[in-house]
Amino acid sequence: MPDVSHALQPLGKKTYKSRLSATLKHIKRDRQLLILFIPCVAFYLIFRYGPLYGLIIAFKDYSVWNGILGSDWVGLKHFVKFFSSNDFILLFKNTLLLGFYALIFGFPFPIILAVLLNEVRLKWFKKSVQTFTYLPSFLSVVIISSMVIDFLSPSSGMINKLIAMLGFEKIYFLIMPEWFRTIYVVSDIWAHMGYEAIIYLAAIAGISPTLYEAARVDGASRLRRMWHITIPSILPTILIMLIMKVGNMMRIGYEKVLLLYTPTTYEVADVFSTFVYRKGLLETNYSYAAAVGMFEALVAMFMILSANYFSRKLGGKGLW
Amino acid sequence: MVGEAKISVLGIFTTIVLLIAAIVTLYPLVYILAISLSDTASVVQGKVWLWPEGLNFDAYMQVLKDNRIPKAYMNTVFYTALGTSINLAMTAIAAYPLSKSNFIGRKYWMFGIVLTMFLNAGIIPNYLIVQKLGLLDSVWALVIPNAIWTFELIILKSFYEGMSSQIREAALIDGASEFRILFNIVIPLSKPALASIGLFYFMGHWNSFFIPMIYLNDATMYPLQVVLRDMLIFSEGSGASLVDAQALAPQAKKNATIVLSMIPVLLMYPFVQKYFAKGVMLGSEKG
Repeated sequence: MPDVSHALQPLGKKTYKSRLSATLKHIKRDRQLLILFIPCVAFYLIFRYGPLYGLIIAFKDYSVWNGILGSDWVGLKHFVKFFSSNDFILLFKNTLLLGFYALIFGFPFPIILAVLLNEVRLKWFKKSVQTFTYLPSFLSVVIISSMVIDFLSPSSGMINKLIAMLGFEKIYFLIMPEWFRTIYVVSDIWAHMGYEAIIYLAAIAGISPTLYEAARVDGASRLRRMWHITIPSILPTILIMLIMKVGNMMRIGYEKVLLLYTPTTYEVADVFSTFVYRKGLLETNYSYAAAVGMFEALVAMFMILSANYFSRKLGGKGLW
Repeated sequence: MVGEAKISVLGIFTTIVLLIAAIVTLYPLVYILAISLSDTASVVQGKVWLWPEGLNFDAYMQVLKDNRIPKAYMNTVFYTALGTSINLAMTAIAAYPLSKSNFIGRKYWMFGIVLTMFLNAGIIPNYLIVQKLGLLDSVWALVIPNAIWTFELIILKSFYEGMSSQIREAALIDGASEFRILFNIVIPLSKPALASIGLFYFMGHWNSFFIPMIYLNDATMYPLQVVLRDMLIFSEGSGASLVDAQALAPQAKKNATIVLSMIPVLLMYPFVQKYFAKGVMLGSEKG
C-alpha cells in the first residue's frame, strides 16, 4: 500500500502542475474575454454581494459614524427583539395572507383569458382584446394606485357614486382595514392578467393542430375540445406557473402597499418590506430594519428554492 | 344540429367574457383621459363618466405651467435614456463571455450570478452601499446599482448561444479580436433580442418610483413618478391629509399628468407588442 501512494505522488504533483499551467494558458487565451467581463464582475461584487456583506449590520448596532466594521457587535439582539415583538406575527401574517390571496384569486384569470382568446376566430377581435388587456402591465404602480384612489374616493369616486345612486352609505374604502386586501388583490388582477396570459397563449400555440382535427372528425364540440385538448395540454405550464407563484408568494408588491396603505390600515396592510422601509429609512434604525429584512429574505429564499425543487421533481424546468 | 347550437353558445359566451375583460381594463384609462379633459365644475359635480364634459385643455396648461412637472418629465426622460443605455451596454458585454462554452470558469461565474437571484440582501444594505459610494442624490444612484438585471442577462446569453457560430469562428480565424467580433458581429445580429430586453429596461426606468424616492432628496431631481406620488399623498383618499384635497391636487391636473406620463409608453406600444411578448417567452423558456 505505501508503495502505491509513493508511486502516485509524483504523478499527482505533475498533474497539479500541468493543470496550473493549463489554467494559465486558458487565462491567456481568454484574456480579451476576461477584460470584457471585468465590468460585470465588478457590478456583481459591489452591488449584489456587497449588500450581502452589509447584512452583518443586522448583528451590530450600526451607526453612520462608526461604519459597518467599526460598529459594535450585539449578536442576535435585533432578531430577539423582533421575534418577541407583536410586529413579527403581524407582519408575517399580513405578508403571507396578501401573497396568498393574490395568488389564489389572481391565478385563474390569465388562464381563462388565454383559453377563451384561443377560441376566437376573428383575428382582429382577438388581437384587440389582447392589446387592451395587457396594456395595464405597462403602467407604473404609482399610476395604478392613483386610479385605485380615484375610483374609491368617497367624494368623487366612481364606485362611491354608484353606491350612493343605489341609496347606500358611502364607504371610505382606503381607511377601512377590512377592504385593503380586496383592493390589493383586485387591482393586481387588473394589472397583470393580460401579461400572464401571454405565457399560456404561447403554450396553447404549441399544441399540435392534428389533435384538434382528430377531435373534430370524431365529432367533439368546441367545448369538449377546449376541455379535453386545450386544458390538458397546458396543464404542465399551469402547474409550473403555480409552483413558481407559490415560491414567490413572499415577494409582495410592496410599492403598491406603500402607496395605498394608511396608518389606519397598517394592521392588515403592513408587510415586511414596508416595515423595513419605515424603520430603516424613515426612522434610521438601520440595524433593526436590516435584521427584519434578512429574516424576510431567508424565508423568501427558502420558499423559492423549495418551489424550484418541486418544479424539477415534476419534470419541469426549474428557474435555472 | 345540436353540435352547431353548442358552438354558437360557446362563441357568444366567449365574446361576451372577452368584451367585459377588454372594457374593464380599458375603462379606467378612458375615464382618466375624460377627467383630464373636462372642466372643473363637471368633475367636482361628478358628471364625468365616459366622455369629457366641457371639453378643454386647462388641466394640461396647468401642468405645463407648473414648474415641477415639466422638470420632472425631463428628469424621467434623462434617467430613462441614460439608464437604459447603461443597462444595454453592460448586459450586451457581460453576456458575451458567458455565452462561450469554453470561457474560463464559466460554470462558476454563472453560479455566482444566478445565486444573486435568490439571495437578496434587502432595502437597507443596498441603501448603505449606495450611501457609502457617495451616490445618494445623484443620477448614478438610479442607474448603476441596477445596471444589470440577471434575468435579462440570462436571456441575452441564451440568445448569443443560439446564434450561428460559423461567422464568429470565421472572424476569429481571420484574426479579429473578441472585441471586434462582439461589437461588429454579435451585437448587430442581436438587435431583436436587445430590443426586447431594452423594453424591459426602459419600462423599469420609466415607471420606477421607489428607488428614486429613497435615493434622491433634492426635489428638483425627482422623476415624474415621484412627483405623481406626491400628488397622491395630498389627495384625500390616502387619508394623509385632511386639508381640502381638491385645492391641493385637482383631479384633472393629476390625471393630465398621468396621461402625459403614459404617452411614451403608448407610442412605443406597437414595438412593445412585437418585442415584449417575445421577451416574456424567452424568459419563461430559459430563465
